[in-house]
Amino acid sequence: MSDMSKKNAGGRIGLVVTLLVLLLLFAAPKFANGYVVYILAMMCINAMMATGFNFVIGFLGQLVFANTAFFGIGAYTYGIVLVHTGLPFPVAFLAACLAGGIAGLIVGLPALRLTGFQLAIVTLAFNELMRWVYLHSGAVGGGASGMEMPDAQFLGIELIGDRSKYIFILAVTVIALWMVRNIARSTVGRAIVSVGASELAAASLTIPPVRYKIAAFGLSGFFTAIGGAMFALLLGRVSPESFSLGQLLLGFAMVMVGGMGTVVGPVLGAILLTAAPEFLRNIAGAEEILYSFLLIGLLLFMPSGLFGGLCALFPSLRERHLGATP
Amino acid sequence: MLGQLILSGISQGAIYALVALGMTVLYRTTAVLNFGYGDTFMLGAFVFYVFLKIAGMPFALAALMTIAVMIIVGLLIERLLIRPIAARPHLLIAMMTIAISYMFRGATRMIWGRDVQPMPALFDFPPIFIGDMVLTSQNVVIMVAAALLVILFFSFFNYSSLGKLMQAASHSPRGAALIGVNVPLFSACMWALSVAIAAIAGILVAPVTLLYPDMGAATLLKAFAAMTLGGFGNLGGAVLGGVVLGISEQLCGGYISTSFMDIFPYLVILVVLLVYPAGMLGRAEITRV
Repeated sequence: MSDMSKKNAGGRIGLVVTLLVLLLLFAAPKFANGYVVYILAMMCINAMMATGFNFVIGFLGQLVFANTAFFGIGAYTYGIVLVHTGLPFPVAFLAACLAGGIAGLIVGLPALRLTGFQLAIVTLAFNELMRWVYLHSGAVGGGASGMEMPDAQFLGIELIGDRSKYIFILAVTVIALWMVRNIARSTVGRAIVSVGASELAAASLTIPPVRYKIAAFGLSGFFTAIGGAMFALLLGRVSPESFSLGQLLLGFAMVMVGGMGTVVGPVLGAILLTAAPEFLRNIAGAEEILYSFLLIGLLLFMPSGLFGGLCALFPSLRERHLGATP
Repeated sequence: MLGQLILSGISQGAIYALVALGMTVLYRTTAVLNFGYGDTFMLGAFVFYVFLKIAGMPFALAALMTIAVMIIVGLLIERLLIRPIAARPHLLIAMMTIAISYMFRGATRMIWGRDVQPMPALFDFPPIFIGDMVLTSQNVVIMVAAALLVILFFSFFNYSSLGKLMQAASHSPRGAALIGVNVPLFSACMWALSVAIAAIAGILVAPVTLLYPDMGAATLLKAFAAMTLGGFGNLGGAVLGGVVLGISEQLCGGYISTSFMDIFPYLVILVVLLVYPAGMLGRAEITRV
């Protein structure tokens, strides 16, 4: 009984803290300067990218590198729908997310036959192919110079400055992360994790591995593309060099540093790795050295990531949907 | 035209073959796929640049020094970063190699910034004419060196007792440890060998290309394509795959379009893995439960 009430009290404190942080984040444009608001918006975008990545690399436990492609597909679909069809902004945004989800389903198909390093290589190749497509997209996607986005309008509010864009991006991120948390706790989420742990064991428990592998890829593409569409919205333009190998490795480092296979981990990683390089802007190469030291340190001493380390210190933080951390 | 394309394809393919061979050696013997191998190759080229251009050493000495330095780097990586996590899942080791690639790229970028370093041609013998085909001296050096290395390498693995022992140890590290083979030492040797091959590829390629910190990524992907084409994890397949990739890439550039050439390796990866994942010389893997 007392244990039960303690748990409830812990949950309530967590809820209050979350609400306070959200309040602070939504109020940020009122007191923070434009640069800080821009960085906060980038944090949200990267958090979505890392969260999408985490679906395959963390929950499903497969080395899949197609996420920059999903991110780019989200950004380009958003831009192309907005520029070429003249449809309203919410339609373009939703189309971008769905396009990412469909791309995820398609990339998921080879994953049924290939595993391990071959899957890693084939998805890496898919990334580069998509970048080539952007480069040669001609009038549709602007080719090498990229494409400019027209201004967006949502519920009668013009999304022009970084501040209004930030509020929209933050709201979408909060809703999406809440969805991810619920998916992770649902049958689908648990089934994906079980297929990742052992396909054969899952199949013997009547969990169809094929269905949940495809589901993990589709979800990965969907949530990554949300990040991509928000990226295009924030920058107001997209160009092929935003979707290079560097972007892929950055997302990968975020998931690893934060803690893969958890909901909070990738968000934590995204916040840290979006903020840290801002202090190192002036030194060429310092960013990469920082990433390498962070990754090496974590792999050697805290393989479950920062969030895993925090959970070891404060067991009440542990996410209930997953048994053990990897 | 056809002959010229094939010749330059072989020369280009020799580099892919070397890089793919170096990766396959490590993959076959320690089951580590080194995602930092492209950047190891890049580092090799830069170390060579330092010895040759900045320290002003003659070619042979600079090359030897580069190989020595890179072997030390490889041994340090194995001892400090890989061995502590060697028993963990392969995914984590693959991530460690990505961390290493970040380190190499960051270090070179910190020193040389975003500039591109040109290297003068090392050998200025007159080019060789075969009919109407031209073969530059650098291409000849690349082909001969790569061929010699591959022959040396295969005779070592297939005919020397140490090479056979290494093959045995890679098949069953546990069994080898039981009969007294020092498996960690063997693993360290494989890292050293693999890094040395990257260094040699870097030395060979440095004079014909420009040096820049991001040059490793494209080479890594091409080596992956070569490995996939030849049969993943097959030593002979890596060499064959590299040469075939080089030739077909040049033919594609010559007869179809040069913009298409950029994605040729990726198309090769996609088609081979989706249609016939075993590759040219590979055998389909059978998983026992």
